Amino acid sequence: MIFRLVCVAFAICLGLSAARAQAPATPLQDVLQQNADAVANPSRGTVDSLIAALLESDLDGVPVFLERWRDRAVYQRVSDGLFFFGTATDGGFDLTDVDTGADAGRATSTEVSELRPNAGVRRVIGGALVAFQLLDNDPARRVAALDAIARSPSDDQLGPLRRSIEDEPDPALKDRKIRLERLLAARYAESEAERITAIESLRGDLGVDARAVLNLILTSSPAVFATMPTDRNIAAVLTPGSDDLSEEAAYDQLVSADLAPPLTGVEPIKAALIAAIDGGQVAGIPVASLTTDDARESAYEALAAAGAVPPLVTLEDQAASLATHSFVLLYAEPNKAITDAARETLDAIGMQVARNQAADLALDGLSLASIYFLAAIGLAITFGVMGVINMAHGEFIMMGAYTGYVVQLFIPDYTLSLIVALPLAFAVTFGAGVAMERLVIRWLYHRPLETLLATFGISIALQQLAKNIFGTQARPLTSPAWLSGNLTFNEVVSISMIRVAIFVLALMFLGLLIYILKRTRLGLEVRAVTQNPGMAASMGINPDRINMLTFGLGSGIAGIAGVAIGLYAKVTSEMGSEYIVQSFMTVVVGGVGNVWGTLAGATLIGFLQKGIEFFNPSNTLAAQTFMILFIILFIQFRPKGIVALKGRAAGD
Amino acid sequence: MSTLLEVSGVSVTFDGFRAINNLSISIGQAELRAVIGPNGAGKTTFMDIITGKTKPDVGRVIWGPRSLSLLDMSESEIARQGIGRKFQKPTVFEAQTVRENLAMALKNPRGPFDVLFYRKSRATAARIDEIAEEIGLTDDLPRRAGDLSHGQKQWLEIGMLLAQDPQLLLVDEPAAGMTPAEREHTTALLVRAAQTRAVVVVEHDMEFVRRLNCKVTVLHEGSVLAEGSLDHVTKNQDVIDVYLGR
Amino acid sequence: MTRSFIAKNPSVLWFLLALSVFSIAVTLLSEATGTGLISTSFVKTLGKTLCLCLIAIAMDVVWGYCGILSLGHFAFFGLGGYAIGMWLMYARTELIVVESLANAALPPTDKEVVDAIASQIFGVVGASEFPLIWSFAHSLTLQLAMVVLVPGLLALVFGWLAFRSRVTGVYLSILTQAMTLALSLYLFQNDSGLRGNNGLSGLQNIPGLDAVPQSVISIAFFWASAVALGVGYVLFAWVVSGKMGSVIRAIRDNESRVRFLGYHVESYKLFVFTLTAIVAAIAGALYYPQAGIINPAEIAPIASIYLAVWVAIGGRGRLYGAVIGAAFVSLLSSWFTGGSAPAVNLGFYTINWTDWWLVLLGVSFVAVTLFFPKGIGGLFDLIVLKPVADRQGDYGPDKGAWRKEEGEP
Repeated sequence: MIFRLVCVAFAICLGLSAARAQAPATPLQDVLQQNADAVANPSRGTVDSLIAALLESDLDGVPVFLERWRDRAVYQRVSDGLFFFGTATDGGFDLTDVDTGADAGRATSTEVSELRPNAGVRRVIGGALVAFQLLDNDPARRVAALDAIARSPSDDQLGPLRRSIEDEPDPALKDRKIRLERLLAARYAESEAERITAIESLRGDLGVDARAVLNLILTSSPAVFATMPTDRNIAAVLTPGSDDLSEEAAYDQLVSADLAPPLTGVEPIKAALIAAIDGGQVAGIPVASLTTDDARESAYEALAAAGAVPPLVTLEDQAASLATHSFVLLYAEPNKAITDAARETLDAIGMQVARNQAADLALDGLSLASIYFLAAIGLAITFGVMGVINMAHGEFIMMGAYTGYVVQLFIPDYTLSLIVALPLAFAVTFGAGVAMERLVIRWLYHRPLETLLATFGISIALQQLAKNIFGTQARPLTSPAWLSGNLTFNEVVSISMIRVAIFVLALMFLGLLIYILKRTRLGLEVRAVTQNPGMAASMGINPDRINMLTFGLGSGIAGIAGVAIGLYAKVTSEMGSEYIVQSFMTVVVGGVGNVWGTLAGATLIGFLQKGIEFFNPSNTLAAQTFMILFIILFIQFRPKGIVALKGRAAGD
Repeated sequence: MSTLLEVSGVSVTFDGFRAINNLSISIGQAELRAVIGPNGAGKTTFMDIITGKTKPDVGRVIWGPRSLSLLDMSESEIARQGIGRKFQKPTVFEAQTVRENLAMALKNPRGPFDVLFYRKSRATAARIDEIAEEIGLTDDLPRRAGDLSHGQKQWLEIGMLLAQDPQLLLVDEPAAGMTPAEREHTTALLVRAAQTRAVVVVEHDMEFVRRLNCKVTVLHEGSVLAEGSLDHVTKNQDVIDVYLGR
Repeated sequence: MTRSFIAKNPSVLWFLLALSVFSIAVTLLSEATGTGLISTSFVKTLGKTLCLCLIAIAMDVVWGYCGILSLGHFAFFGLGGYAIGMWLMYARTELIVVESLANAALPPTDKEVVDAIASQIFGVVGASEFPLIWSFAHSLTLQLAMVVLVPGLLALVFGWLAFRSRVTGVYLSILTQAMTLALSLYLFQNDSGLRGNNGLSGLQNIPGLDAVPQSVISIAFFWASAVALGVGYVLFAWVVSGKMGSVIRAIRDNESRVRFLGYHVESYKLFVFTLTAIVAAIAGALYYPQAGIINPAEIAPIASIYLAVWVAIGGRGRLYGAVIGAAFVSLLSSWFTGGSAPAVNLGFYTINWTDWWLVLLGVSFVAVTLFFPKGIGGLFDLIVLKPVADRQGDYGPDKGAWRKEEGEP
């Protein structure tokens, strides 16, 4: 598209400069007229000399002409044989001058004849065009030409591309040209040595196109032979009945190559028998008795013996035919040295891609781990300090996300709204947490199971309330522009900025929590209450206040996690319940009452989930199932989680 | 006197704190033994190790004539081997009646299906009455254990211990919260029990220990400091330094 | 023995009496056998409610008596439903297939029949072969055995793993919840072999009984549910009375003390967990033919939590409490969510109960937990029992078991 626009602009400039010259110079028209016949009726035989003549003329208008010519937009006026560019309008053509681009009036379809170069000619024209474009002064056009080559590479582009490399002024474009030249050379270079060098130079290239080129070189197709050929480039010998080639598929190959008769399966037998039914009998056997495959088979054999149907081809026949033939995959590329080099290079790239994919997976795992950490840490704190499981924790996450959504309704600037939403979400959920602790939980200490159920009651009430207020459809929480991109390391490894931001947020909270717990008076008191509530109370710590604050803190972090999660997932009234089980798992696996434990749990679960998804990418449900099974088994070996309190502090 | 329980070279560490340090004690077939020691000497942990609640880092605990290792057994298996324990704080099942508490402790097959198809018999009822008589709770049999006084709960727990008919009784501070008369009764009961089985009493109260009139083991910082008669250990200078002297 | 059992548990007699009166009354009022005052669909609702009452008493035994807050018993309920549903679906499809193949030119082979059934059943998930788990679906006897065996085995294996590693309290609750979640996620997959999220449907059509009207079938299932509830009630009343009940409640109140008495606590928990799981499965096997359809959403963790809510509202630690809770809350819930409850006009806002019922349920559940820990069943204490003094507080689920113990893994 850009290319086209540039062409038009170019043409207009030409027109202007021509107009300034005052003299109607028509050099291109002249050249064309000198080769009028070759232009009007191009063929593979004549087009080369014509293009050579055009190139020799070194006129500015040549590329535009070539392009129009290829696109079948050049017309010859019947009356005087002059060539024009034309566009079809209703009932006629608008003509423009080939040199100046000036309007040359209208013509009806009888007054002009359209030049229709055939496919072969157009390829040659295209090649010549590429040469022009690759050397064009405008970098945008050179980029466009490279894009065109990358999109549909062909052998005739290799030469022009090579010639254009040396004079390329732009280093980035030069690199790209060199790389593209390697890709083309790997497929189209003349000599075997040249191609192998090109193939081997692709080693270490992570681009998808490099792998595509190698895979194209390695294209293979199945073939079957009575005796194994020696003069063919064989990719692999297949054994029927193996994973690569089932017996049925192998036999189908034989049948379609007319090397064996089709198997007489259940359906053909049935069809043959039905066709042969005569007065309730088939070959003298009553139809009613044909209720097993064996009976039907023997009836068919009776028919075959009578010559009514072709003889039965059984599985034994199939096996015999299969045994006497060789099944192979044949490379399209006949040269074995080249396919070997390509295979080796592809394997090497494959290894490297796998390493990078592992890195990418690790990055995904890390980001999932930080989400779980944010979602679970509040739960872990309240569970650790107070021994209560807050089933409404997921709904606090939801509340945080909805807070973010409401803030965005009032503050249209996404960055500013995010800055407002984070502390506001903390404040809202902190308040909700404190209220819940004061109103419900504090009456239920020493009854953890009942706390679990009471908080569940709150959870369903909150969920339904959110549904009543915000409706059932998902609400958007839009991230600011600077968070919408990707952080890309190479072709394989990349991660979205939102996830990076969540990771940073998780790190900040890890730091903050560790600071609060280890360095502040509040943290000291919290740890004291965690380890021995009775003793802490007798030392003048007010457990009521500590419980209230920790519950508020845990809930507040859930609110912030809600904003973070809302940025990349949808905000619905049910979003909390999607995270609550994972959060529980994180706490259980990590161990109670310890920030590091939660971190370890989140890391384990995040990485594990990504790992399972990697091995079973199509099925996230199965991944989650395996995940939970793993956790149930994990509990067998470490019932108290990864980071367990030991000895008397653990209370046993 | 053949050995019933042999604890040798046992150590336990909690988060770097050595609760038991190379402890070796052996208890005879029918012996009354008092274990004393200051707070944190490892008395309760010692009991935890025998009853399987705490697994030691190193050491051996060998039980009975067949020299079984108790370390490989779960708490319930150890209890079924014939080791009964009375906790410092009386832990009876407060929601259930005294009779139910005793019936549960009574020596009978312990498998779920044995219990499910368990039928009361005259003999067991008589045994419960006998124990109730002994612990002075005959009139309280239909009462809920939670309604008993602290002292009565202590008695009930001792009764449950007797109902188990163990070969080794581990008794943690039995006399706490009892009147002098009750203490006397307890002493008599423990002494009588020790005639047919081994009884290990952990106690702070020197007067109570004196009345038991038995061999005394003094624990300090997780290992045995002295062993012998009460008079013997009270003359030991180490013991005086760490425990009695203060 | 029986005499003394009834004498010691007068509630059993009262319950059986009430259940019989209720069942007869419903029969007399139903469309099939009586005046028709109760519609067939409501008979089905009542029959289903009886099944829910059955799983509720199972839940009460495992939670109220044994102290294991299982958030996974609906998994067993659902598995029971799936097991019977497989036979119902297979047998019914078989009848249809055999009928349609009867007109074919050649009489069908067995394999053709099976293949046709398979493609009928699994067409919706794009498969046409029976997975291995359907091996017994052709036989009612075997599949009835599966109703008991599959959930029983799952409970046995899961319970063994969980109890063996001494997971207790909220940890155990979360683990059971995870089990349910894993199962429902697994069943949601199309290649689970149970038709993914389509579930099994058409279960209300009993194979071979096409001529019998649904009104009669519904009464039959109603009675089957009532009998199952009665038998289940007596069974559990027997289990939780006597020495077994004594040990189970002791485990609830102080697990480690029971261990020091020489009882292998894990075996007892496993026994209770598995037994209740099997009863839950039987309840499910009776429920889903009345519901007509089962899908993995029924097994979602939330269902099991609601079960706990019913039992808590009805009153834990007494079997009739669980029955009352399940019947009361589930019937009330269908009344409110079914749109029959009149909307309340506050002038500025109209409370539409289909939207607000869950809020009401959540809040009233919190209120019950806070103010009436004994639930509805606690009202009976006012009539039957003299108030007893609480000396020590820290016993039983009513006052809460030990926070320390429950909080531990």
